[in-house]
Amino acid sequence: MKTESRLKRIGTHLLLLILVFINLVPLIIVLSSSLRSPRNMTNPLNWFNEFTLDSFISAYTRMNFPIALWNSMVLTIVSVVFVVLFAAMAAYPMARIRSRTSKFLYMFFLAGLVVPGQMVLIPIIQMIKGLGIPLGQYTPILMFITCSLPFSTFLYTGFIRSGVPEEIEEAAYIDGAGLSTRFWKIVFPLLLPVTVSVIITQGVWIWNDYFFNMVFITKTIDSPLPVAMLGFLGDQQNPAQWNVLFAACILCALPLLAMFFALQKYFVGGLTMGSVKG
Amino acid sequence: MKFLNRKTLVLMLVAMMLVLGACSSNTPNSGSTNATNNPSNTTEPPTDASEAPVTLTMLVSGAKAAEGEDFELETLPRLVKEKFPNVTLEVQKLPDEQYYTTVKTKLGAGEGPDIFLVFPKLANMGAIEVAKAGYAADLSDLSFWDRVSPAAKNDMSYDGKPYAVAKGMDILGTFYNKDLFEQAGITELPKDWNSFLEAAEKLKAAGITPIVMGDKDPWVIQFGMYQLAANSVYPTDPEFDTKLQTGETELTDEKWIKTINQYKELYDKGYVVKSSLGMASAQAVQQFVDGKAAMIFTGTWDLPGVTASGAAQFERGFFSLPGNDAGQPVYASASTAAGFALNAKSANLDVAKQVFEYLYDAESPLFEAWVASNPSISVFNGVELQNDIFQDALSEIQSTGNAFYFSNQMWPAGVSDVMQAKFAEIIGGQKTTAEDVTKAMQDKYKELYKE
Amino acid sequence: MNSAIMKKTMYFFVLPALLFYCIFWIFPILKLFQYSITDYNGYVQNFNYVGFSNFKTLFKEEVLMISIKNTLIYTAITVILGNIIALLIAMLLNANIRAKGFYRSAFYIPTLFSAIVVGFIWSYVYMPEEGLIASFFTKIGLAGWDTNFLGSYSKALYSIIAVDIWKNIGVSVIIYLAGLQTVPQEMLEAGRIDGAGKWKLFRFITLPMLATSVTINITLSVINGLKAFDFPFIMTNGGPGISTNTLIFAMYKMAFTDQLFGKAAALGIISFAIIIVITIVCVLTLNKKEVSA
Repeated sequence: MKTESRLKRIGTHLLLLILVFINLVPLIIVLSSSLRSPRNMTNPLNWFNEFTLDSFISAYTRMNFPIALWNSMVLTIVSVVFVVLFAAMAAYPMARIRSRTSKFLYMFFLAGLVVPGQMVLIPIIQMIKGLGIPLGQYTPILMFITCSLPFSTFLYTGFIRSGVPEEIEEAAYIDGAGLSTRFWKIVFPLLLPVTVSVIITQGVWIWNDYFFNMVFITKTIDSPLPVAMLGFLGDQQNPAQWNVLFAACILCALPLLAMFFALQKYFVGGLTMGSVKG
Repeated sequence: MKFLNRKTLVLMLVAMMLVLGACSSNTPNSGSTNATNNPSNTTEPPTDASEAPVTLTMLVSGAKAAEGEDFELETLPRLVKEKFPNVTLEVQKLPDEQYYTTVKTKLGAGEGPDIFLVFPKLANMGAIEVAKAGYAADLSDLSFWDRVSPAAKNDMSYDGKPYAVAKGMDILGTFYNKDLFEQAGITELPKDWNSFLEAAEKLKAAGITPIVMGDKDPWVIQFGMYQLAANSVYPTDPEFDTKLQTGETELTDEKWIKTINQYKELYDKGYVVKSSLGMASAQAVQQFVDGKAAMIFTGTWDLPGVTASGAAQFERGFFSLPGNDAGQPVYASASTAAGFALNAKSANLDVAKQVFEYLYDAESPLFEAWVASNPSISVFNGVELQNDIFQDALSEIQSTGNAFYFSNQMWPAGVSDVMQAKFAEIIGGQKTTAEDVTKAMQDKYKELYKE
Repeated sequence: MNSAIMKKTMYFFVLPALLFYCIFWIFPILKLFQYSITDYNGYVQNFNYVGFSNFKTLFKEEVLMISIKNTLIYTAITVILGNIIALLIAMLLNANIRAKGFYRSAFYIPTLFSAIVVGFIWSYVYMPEEGLIASFFTKIGLAGWDTNFLGSYSKALYSIIAVDIWKNIGVSVIIYLAGLQTVPQEMLEAGRIDGAGKWKLFRFITLPMLATSVTINITLSVINGLKAFDFPFIMTNGGPGISTNTLIFAMYKMAFTDQLFGKAAALGIISFAIIIVITIVCVLTLNKKEVSA
């Protein structure tokens, strides 16, 4: 019995390793190529035949990495903070009140998921212009918040309904707590798991977005990481220096990777929030 | 007691203020700077544009220079700052597709950059369209037009007034690997279609890929097509495109069928690398530079790419694709290149104009830097040809005048896309015929052309 | 808790979100409806109302049909294949006790990369003759095989679908794994004792317990598939020809290259309708299945 299950386990490990390998092969190539000097054009399948940080240095300087990183951070953090606040607040009445209005609101927000950003780009810009908001470094935040609302309100509403018992609030009410106190001091802290989930799911797409950033940001120096990467695309005058390109790709993903490895537990917890709680 | 949560209300108000505040507290954008300029006397560029600090925004397409200083991103702002200490030039450079999207969206929303790139005539983001829409400023009052070739000025004009300053003239042609040609025993450059086919056959026989093209980027299909059109369509009918506008003729005309069939021939006979549809133009250029193919169709703008160092060392040459019949002269495909235009609604139009005066002033260091970094052939008087490789083709054109522009400059934007998409089907081995291609082009033309 | 006053004032909480949502999302969408019956080109500010001619033109052209077909194929494959693969991987991981975290992370990593980066990397993988796959084939002696992936009319769409699946598999795996871990071992044991085979165990015990995960994963993948834009945009530009045009991509092209914003808006409305219908059908079916499970 024991050896059989041992064999089974080894077999499974093997299978998994192969799958992981196949899955990550493109990234391995990227890594190996990025560690070569920019001019090294040998067959990329000769892995790790060179080990230098030249390409990284080249990519780092050409992309203005520190500034782009800062921009990405500002955009993402500000957007996420507002999404969490707005969505949690909006979910509160939608979860607690059982009326046609609240049901309508719920559906209303959810319906927004169906529409892609590219569709409404031009009217959105006209809207922004019409309101007198200048297009600039922080304008994409408006879009990030708006686009994140549907999914986030969905998560929060579900969780409040099933995960925050009304009795707790009733107890507080009896103790004389006002609405605002009840929400911020009692309900909101209990929403931590969903908050983490929202931060992660929305944070990742906001960090990686290139579309809204590309259109709204006017100055290269304000560009966040994904847009800085665009500078390496479509090299018509300069044939693609793949090694530098790949180094840039890795640099861009590095912050997220770092966060992921540090906060793995939360990532996974956050992602499974909606599904398991149900 | 009202549980009208003041706290919550205040919170929300504060939140909204923060958001709106965050958005509007940017560093100055094009619209928000004051423009206390002296009305500039346009015959001589003053040394100081104005007292107050001015920020000009600029958006162009292209890729950042791989080595050294990039002209638009670095040199230009630096030299402008030196000359006009209070003027800061902010430049953004985006790849082609993204450029079109971004600049159009911004202009459409009234938030366009002060300086942007404009293409000749009717091309996508062409001078005519930006002039008509009121986005580009009339540049007639600038002083240097007498030093610019009339053709270049015209191609950027609408209603007799110029709206952009062309970078120069671009010639579409065939870059070739002199060593590989020698190897295949090609002793002189082909001067008509049949000789070209023979030369390609010789290369193929010698085991050399005759032509490489990056057809995954669909616009490169134009590079071969227009050289052929310059020989098969326009010489016998220079007014073809004007006739298209009035309906006197259609794109389904047999001249275009001939052109498309000629280009098709190259693919049918296997002269173009098999996997061209999966190859981006950058990869194709890389193949050429590595000595893996003998020829590539592209234009003068691609000189830096084509002459970059690769796996093989060889001398490059340049000639016009001879789509003509034997005995007829070879026509080149040459056109005015793109150029900078000024935003008509810019708050800093006067300052921007002064920058232009400086840029195009023959004596200024900025002009020199510009000329040095510019692969297009300059259309300013007295500027020498920077790159010898184009000497032959250029002299031909200058002495005989046998050249025609790139067709897409006289078509509404979108027609060439259809041509590309349909021709790609031919390359991809679908059953599409030249007639199908031209019919689709004509249908699109009718749909898009509005007077 | 249930007094009328409480209810009404609670609604204030919705205001900030609602404000943003209406101004920046709903209103622009309504504008889209307006533009679909004009000949607005997105650029020049004057336009005329042209009734339904945009819609009529769209129905006559092949772009509409091809985009719909491509989008449906894209969605179907990413949803079905993606979820099956993710579920299988999750099951493998579930059986094995150690190093789960490692494998889970390994599969999740591609999700962390931006679409642009993923597009780059895979463009390189698919590059004919010199890309990853091509070099690999040469190395193992299959040099003759056609490696023209992104340039082939028949292969391009499937090639980019593969990229989409690759990028998103990690999320599905994590969700399925978590779901699998809620399946009580005792039930499985009981089933096994009763003599149920692997398939029966899965079908009648595991799957129903996974119902929520499945619903969420599938709904999300369906919506994302229908909105597919990134990879055609980054990797093939809708080509070769229009063989990788999806609905949203075609709309984008119409608006920004053809300069026919009115027509693009019309296409947007049509896409919108299709997406809603399919999503509703999907959600209803899944809900029924979930309830019965």
